[in-house]
Amino acid sequence: MRYLLSISCLLWLFSCSAPYKKLQKSKDDMSCVQSFRPVFSAALYNTQVNVVGKHLSGLLIIKTMPDNSIRIVFSNEAGFKFFDFGFAGKNFTVYYIYKDMNKKPVIKTLRKDFQLVLMNNLDVKGAYILKKDSLRYYTFPDGKDHYYYITDSSCRSMVRMERGSNKKPVMTAIAQNFNQGIPDTIGITHTNFNFEIGLKRIYNYAEK
Amino acid sequence: MRRRVLLMALLLAGCFVQAQYAGYKLLPDANDFKTKFTAASQKTTTIKSDFVQEKELTMLSEKIVSKGKFWFKKENAVRMEYTQPFQYLMIINGGKIYIKDSQKENRISAKSNKLFEQINKIMMDCVNGSALSNADFTARVFESGDAYLAELSPVNKNLKTLFKNINLIVNKKDYAVTRIEMHEPSGDNTTINYINREMNVSLSDALFAIN
Repeated sequence: MRYLLSISCLLWLFSCSAPYKKLQKSKDDMSCVQSFRPVFSAALYNTQVNVVGKHLSGLLIIKTMPDNSIRIVFSNEAGFKFFDFGFAGKNFTVYYIYKDMNKKPVIKTLRKDFQLVLMNNLDVKGAYILKKDSLRYYTFPDGKDHYYYITDSSCRSMVRMERGSNKKPVMTAIAQNFNQGIPDTIGITHTNFNFEIGLKRIYNYAEK
Repeated sequence: MRRRVLLMALLLAGCFVQAQYAGYKLLPDANDFKTKFTAASQKTTTIKSDFVQEKELTMLSEKIVSKGKFWFKKENAVRMEYTQPFQYLMIINGGKIYIKDSQKENRISAKSNKLFEQINKIMMDCVNGSALSNADFTARVFESGDAYLAELSPVNKNLKTLFKNINLIVNKKDYAVTRIEMHEPSGDNTTINYINREMNVSLSDALFAIN
């Protein structure tokens, strides 16, 4: 009996540690997920960051440039800039990063997190759909990383986004309440360490 | 020939310096300004003001404008309360910093955080008039009809990565700082304009309390 219990626990642990492996392939329309791609003409967000017990707040700007690349700039409320990143398809540029943040793992994590939300580098080659109950997982492999856009079965609404391996997620993101293609709320939560980013859009911030 | 070239170079350099800030010309001797500015700052015990902060990013055509209230009490207490378009409170008192954003309160020891320690020192120096004698910067002073512009250029490597220079705009009548401009190496800048300024009014210590 004790042996069976141990086996059950192991199986349970195994199934938890590789949730994507339990999903089945689906032949739904791959292109529908593109309709959820946000269109950041220019948006300012009140930003809250919690990372390993530390809290940071500030302002984050996401803007599509004339060449269709996307710039993301994060500063504190008093104007002190933390980073300025550029995303153009597969190309990623660090225009500026504050020296204490200038560490490869930090930049890599932020790049991948925003890449998931921006949806501007979805390589359809190699992409596939998985399903589980009423959810569809639109999956875009990028090397060892996999970007998952999880919708309802009819692909009418996006439930959440995830990034991880082909076995399990390492982070989850949501983008909600779209207004002219721009989400009002964005949330990013990592599952393997304590790191959260919360964005709430600020309207009427600018003067010409 | 050499002399002519040298003279031409000096003239061009002079023109370049004078053209750096429209309407301002470089003061060849800033000692008189420094003396009067320091004297006026020493007489200032408190400041109560509204402020308008403008963040200019080279990649953005619009300015990000935020507004709020500012209080200063000698020797080294500052309270900045942003009210539009977001709520954010920062109190700097001695070596302590208190921050309250829309979600959390944070108490930081300025010494434990180099970034805050630097910002703390710069802000205090700008407000209490000691900026021109801060060894972290070299200063040049320009003047226009109604204002002085004190240009502070960072000397140390760390500050140079943060700021190209910090400019203080000082009113010629009362030597009060009316604007602080923080220019970043990237071309982005942040400007804080102080308006509706009241000097030496009674301010409760409770405004600057960090419990």
